[in-house]
Amino acid sequence: MSIEIINSFFASVQDFGRKGYRSLGVPVAGAMDQLSAAYANTLVGNRSDEALIEVIGGSFSFKILKESLIAVTGADADLIVNDTKARTWRALFVNEGSMIEIRLKQRGLVNYISFAGGIDVPSLMQSKSTYYRGGFGGFHGRLLKNGDVLPLKTTDVHSVLDEVAGKRPTKDVLERIPDRDEILNLRATKGIHADLFSEDFNRIFQFIYTVGSSCDRMGYRLEGQCIEKARTLGRVITTAVDRGYVQLPPDGKPIVLMADSQTTGGYAVILHVIREDVDRLAQCSTGHKVRFSLIDTMKAEQFTALYSSILRNPPLQEPEEEYYGESPW
Amino acid sequence: MIYDNPVIKESGGYVVYIEFCTGINLNCNTCVQKLWQALMELSKSGIDGGIEEIVPAYSSLTIFYNPEKTCAEKLRKTVLQQWKKLKDKKLPLESSLWMIPVAYGGTFGPDLEEILAATKLSYESFIAVHTSKEYLCYMLGFTPGFVYLGDVDDRIALPRLKSPKSRIAPGSVGIAGKQTGIYGVESPGGWRIIGKTPIKMFDPRRSPPIAIKPGDKVRFYPVTVEQYKQMEGVYLTDLSTSQGEQNEH
Repeated sequence: MSIEIINSFFASVQDFGRKGYRSLGVPVAGAMDQLSAAYANTLVGNRSDEALIEVIGGSFSFKILKESLIAVTGADADLIVNDTKARTWRALFVNEGSMIEIRLKQRGLVNYISFAGGIDVPSLMQSKSTYYRGGFGGFHGRLLKNGDVLPLKTTDVHSVLDEVAGKRPTKDVLERIPDRDEILNLRATKGIHADLFSEDFNRIFQFIYTVGSSCDRMGYRLEGQCIEKARTLGRVITTAVDRGYVQLPPDGKPIVLMADSQTTGGYAVILHVIREDVDRLAQCSTGHKVRFSLIDTMKAEQFTALYSSILRNPPLQEPEEEYYGESPW
Repeated sequence: MIYDNPVIKESGGYVVYIEFCTGINLNCNTCVQKLWQALMELSKSGIDGGIEEIVPAYSSLTIFYNPEKTCAEKLRKTVLQQWKKLKDKKLPLESSLWMIPVAYGGTFGPDLEEILAATKLSYESFIAVHTSKEYLCYMLGFTPGFVYLGDVDDRIALPRLKSPKSRIAPGSVGIAGKQTGIYGVESPGGWRIIGKTPIKMFDPRRSPPIAIKPGDKVRFYPVTVEQYKQMEGVYLTDLSTSQGEQNEH
């Protein structure tokens, strides 16, 4: 089983990332919006951490080379199957030869396409995630290109379909993807260098930032008011960093580290955004407004623990509660 | 100055950060490695099942934990207990010496000209200074195969570039303050690039993907463009001249 990529702008194979190799400098990588990825997999009967396709910025189409069961989640998008609109956030049976296209709309940036059985690429350091900067993982260590034939694992799609048909997430799962006009609230604990900012620390909560144009899987640069203290702080001793760390380089403008975050860094870390909010930030494109709010470690632990359990086993609604609207939005 | 007891901070609901000092020095890094090894043992033995990953750096350790299984408060106690036991123990740390070829300057080291101007050193004397020492590998990080080495001679210790470059070629050798290091893969970076090694530092298909480990020693030696071309793309352990004698420290 396989698919052929017809048109791809920025798409890669991802799962939940490569854990346990950070002390060798190997980044975790993995899906930018893990909840959308987990749902995509669950909808087609996969384990939530199975490898799937991540599409950033839309403009993606492919051809089904053998009948398959797929699901598309993440950003609000038109899903076109052979010139007909189909539903996102549902399992979808597609015939051999079907042409599938994703057209991004206004809300969100990142989509996931899952396939029942998963994607058949080798696991490297216990993960199928692509780390394209390092040129390894996923499909030949790179982004997908037009003409690529991506192998899928063989599975009995009909029996999977019987189990998952019509199941869907609750509306709040779709609504967590930030709307263009919504100022996204990023809940964060103090970062490991928060103390170095003294009275300037509290200023970061007073400003509204916008997602800058310099954003990729490694980090999102935010534009807005400078934190002056950062200019005098300069560098700190290099230490481990992670997704969600908010670094302040000497220009005083925050960088939120994302899925392809380097393993260590030498900029002062003012905040640490909790996981579920980093995943929501991943869905924001250039110009989206964000702000930070402070929570304590106990709260952050509760949120993280709950989020981890949802990622492992995303709850779905049964078919009889089906919503018959035009679009799930 | 190494703290009497490490400073412990927590963040994000799943990170515990342990700092031994705010500098780069061998003694402090030894503390990091001692505690790292002890905590790795502990986590392997399953005594603290909540620890998912531990990352050593120059003067700190970062524990990534699962808040479904443990919490920062508990880990803080575990760390302090362990440190109490370890503090005055001497640990035998094994290390290898690696010889790394470097082509200095020109297109290999685009920032060297500026460094020569700033340091008032000639091309030859700069190379002599940079290759004069065995550097300690304090840590790996940033990107795959990036090896943090130190300490460089004060004469060539120059700060990072004000704004990082978006693309640095793999194999590039840079200087940032008292640190020198090698970029394993293409990445952005703010270190001043003085040269480039033809050696493949990182290969994800190898086990381990990187030959150099924290605590090892590295010495650079200059090569010509012709020699560079001959060695280009060879993995470190496949280069017959790469490994010096094994040292016990």
